[in-house]
Amino acid sequence: MSLAWISKLALAAGLVALPATGWAQSVNISYLTHWSPETVALLEAAAKDFSKQNPDVAVTVRAVPFGDLLTTLRSQGGSSDGPTIGGIYDLWLPELAKDKLVAPAPDAVASEVKSAWPAGVVSAASVGGTLYGIPNEIDVYALNYNKELFKAAGIAAPPKTWAEFKDAAAKLTDKDKGQQGFGMINSWAAGVVHPFASLLVSNGGNLVKDGKPALDSPQAGETFALYEDLIKSGASNPAMATADANTTGPFLDNFVSGKTGMIIMANWWESALKTGMGDKFANIATAPIPVGPSGDKPHSISYSWMTVVNAKAGEAEQKAAWQFLAWLNSPKSGKNGASAMSDILMSMGILPSRTSDIEAHKDKLGSEFLSGYVSVLADARPFPVVLGGQEFSESLQQTLEALQYGQVSAKDAQANAQADATSILERAAK
Amino acid sequence: MSASTRSLARKRPSGRKALLATAMLLVAVASAFPLAWMVLSSLKTPAETMQVPPVWIPRTPTLEAYEKVAGVINVGRSMWNSLIIASVTTAGILVTSMMAGYAFAKYSFPGRSLLFSVLIATMFLPPIVTLIPLYRMVGSLGLSASLAGIIVPNLANAFGIFLMRQFIAGVPDDLIDAARMDGASELLILYKIVAPSVAPAIAALALFAFVYHWNSYLWPLTVLQGNADAYPIVISLSRLLSYNRGAVNTGLVMAGATLAVLPPLVLFVFLQRFFVDSIVGSAIKG
Amino acid sequence: MAKAFRASAGIMLAPAVTLIGVFVLLPMLLTIWLSFQDWSTQTPFSEASFVGFGNFNEIFGPTSVGRDFKTALLNTAIYTALSVALILPLSVVFGLLVYQREVAGGTALRTVLFSTYMVPMIAVALVWSKLYSPSEGPLNQLLGLIGVGPQPWLSSPRSALVSIVLLNVWQQVGYFTVLAIAGLTQIPGSLYEAATLDGANGREQFRFITLPLLRRTLLFSAVIAIINAVQVFEPVALITQGGPVGSTNVLTYHVRRVGIERAQGGLGSAMAVMLMLSLIVCVSALFSLVNRKDGE
Repeated sequence: MSLAWISKLALAAGLVALPATGWAQSVNISYLTHWSPETVALLEAAAKDFSKQNPDVAVTVRAVPFGDLLTTLRSQGGSSDGPTIGGIYDLWLPELAKDKLVAPAPDAVASEVKSAWPAGVVSAASVGGTLYGIPNEIDVYALNYNKELFKAAGIAAPPKTWAEFKDAAAKLTDKDKGQQGFGMINSWAAGVVHPFASLLVSNGGNLVKDGKPALDSPQAGETFALYEDLIKSGASNPAMATADANTTGPFLDNFVSGKTGMIIMANWWESALKTGMGDKFANIATAPIPVGPSGDKPHSISYSWMTVVNAKAGEAEQKAAWQFLAWLNSPKSGKNGASAMSDILMSMGILPSRTSDIEAHKDKLGSEFLSGYVSVLADARPFPVVLGGQEFSESLQQTLEALQYGQVSAKDAQANAQADATSILERAAK
Repeated sequence: MSASTRSLARKRPSGRKALLATAMLLVAVASAFPLAWMVLSSLKTPAETMQVPPVWIPRTPTLEAYEKVAGVINVGRSMWNSLIIASVTTAGILVTSMMAGYAFAKYSFPGRSLLFSVLIATMFLPPIVTLIPLYRMVGSLGLSASLAGIIVPNLANAFGIFLMRQFIAGVPDDLIDAARMDGASELLILYKIVAPSVAPAIAALALFAFVYHWNSYLWPLTVLQGNADAYPIVISLSRLLSYNRGAVNTGLVMAGATLAVLPPLVLFVFLQRFFVDSIVGSAIKG
Repeated sequence: MAKAFRASAGIMLAPAVTLIGVFVLLPMLLTIWLSFQDWSTQTPFSEASFVGFGNFNEIFGPTSVGRDFKTALLNTAIYTALSVALILPLSVVFGLLVYQREVAGGTALRTVLFSTYMVPMIAVALVWSKLYSPSEGPLNQLLGLIGVGPQPWLSSPRSALVSIVLLNVWQQVGYFTVLAIAGLTQIPGSLYEAATLDGANGREQFRFITLPLLRRTLLFSAVIAIINAVQVFEPVALITQGGPVGSTNVLTYHVRRVGIERAQGGLGSAMAVMLMLSLIVCVSALFSLVNRKDGE
């Protein structure tokens, strides 16, 4: 019996509850991630469980710092000995797919994913209708605020509109105490661009529309102007919100130590806040993004992570990789109907994306901090996944930082951002 | 200067001396301070590392951070990798530099000065200039993600050749010619006659190469592509920083940094005479 | 001796010449060749297609590619100039402190100064990022003691690059101090004695004897300091990621990001070639400056 035939049969038989089918030879696959060693240990434990049922497949985990992940993945291009599986950020998928570095998901996996995950997440894991990865982590942005500072400033409720937002930011600002109203992150692409994009979509705008940059819209103009207002009024002090390569630094320190009233951040920093604040973490609450004058209701920006398979890996390795991934993300691998992957993610305070996983982790996701994020998921807009997306994001970061530090006006920032985005996306599409 | 300071010293000795001593102390303190801070921080409790205003001396020094480092990265393995990278590269550099240095110092052959100039020019080439194609070349040689990929491209360098030529040129020709008359081969002469005469320079080059390759970051980072089994300590150290996304772990990072700094620093303290002599030698003779 | 040893010369030179040829000269030529090509770093060299000066037009053009490169080139130039401008005078001052024989402890000072040169840059970067921390760092605390308000250090586009220069100076100055000492030992004591007899004071002796006779040493130091400075990578990669507002985006970091992370091998190579050309211009200018003075 041929190997291919066995695995096809196995996949057809439900993908996940695989019997210990006898492989013709043992297969070694590797899994590349940026997770911390503690989380890697959880993944290794899951891989061991898998190998118990599939003694001929051995999974090793390789880990790199986040900043090196894309380079590492890209550099597999010429070699087949690169990692078999990679955990990637959805923004990177179009380039990786274009360079044929990642393999399309087998039909059985694709149909399972399409039925078990929300459509928005599935689309972020697909290019031109072809599914390339199994989505796992989803991150979404919301307003975090410090209840104690709100109380001290006499603000009753989190701001719902930009007017309320600006008002709250002004009231929360106290230069003598070194306190700023709204923390506007810089020096880290996603930390700069995602909060801006969340405000933009809550004002009825878009970063990219129909594959073309849409930063020249009046809605975008209002968002740039909002940033300029916050900076000029002193309610945001960029020097208090710098990030380092570890996505920590002053922006985190100042929020943790009660020097920043509000910030727009993703759910995953829960563990950082808890470590940094201890008991004071109870002061932190989550609210939807304030709605702009041209917006209808709060929207957030979401982005997702997925696991992909190296297209240059051998046939047997690729089959084993998909088999492992399907198992890892299925309700059979974790506790109480959750997937092993979602258990790992929840250990970091990260939202899983599979519908059955959200159900299985209902209790934990109902916490005061996380529920605020779960509630905005429904109206979240995925960050545009386009060719050149990473470079686009980095160039928008530069423009926004120039605006934050008062080097350009809102008008010029808007014009620069649109022009840069246009040239980057055009070049990438070539 | 010494003469002038001596004469001035006679005029107003105490004030000048106090000033000098103060200046020297200040410079030494400023120079030692960051490393002292590193070691002190590695002994603090996590709460102390985050305190505002900062705590200077840990109240209850603890080795907790070091234990935690050992749980996060494989310290032994990383140190071993660094040792392999640094010592194999150093051995290669010594052999290639002595051979080429000997040829440039003691042979005359057509194109000698041209070849020497071309090689020396590479000393001034920043590694980033060759990084992109080199990265691709090493990949197509099948050396990426391996220690060999880090080591092989660095087995010879212009600085070593330059240093060896400078010192070997000082070895008397008579000594070499006498050995040739006895029928010794050139390699044997290099090993038995030349090498012992320039032993201090060899020691210096060895130490320079060892420390440089122990510390080097850009090239291993680019070659290794996340193969954590082959990480040298400096790359494992950068991994401590991203140990937990968004979490502050100053003590951990400082403990890791202390571990990475120790081997080159210890080597230096014991062997600094060679370092200094060779810098002096290469600068003057250059 | 000439003819008999030609074969030996070949054998002696082969290992070093082959290695340097293959792993330094060949990739350098490839970089130059690639700078005229459109090439993705993920593909074999054979996939490259010739675009003439297209890459150079783009990196000096008005788009974000051009702006980022020009910023990186300028940042590298500022970083290098500041580093050299701080390191050279300090190395002479520290060298004099070590070399003087009035107060004991010169050798100990040399050891302390030089030891920082042994510290991996990665550790330097990590430690200094904590020293610079606006609230939990000791530097702002110390400044507070002498009545200076807290500085933003790495958090402001105005001070971030300078902050990185400072940590570079801290790490490197010991090495250059030893170079300066080497130069000082070469100055004959008799010159000072004669000057003292002529009634020259310490300042005049420094200006008319020490400094001129240190010129060759300082030239050597300047060249090494420049070469070292353009290689700055770790503090940027680890702490600032080139920010804020691109103020610490230096060439080594930027070329790696463009050429390897974004796989735009042609653009990255063109940037590397520009760096090489700038270096050649700088170093030859330095040499001709010193040589002209020598001729005077």
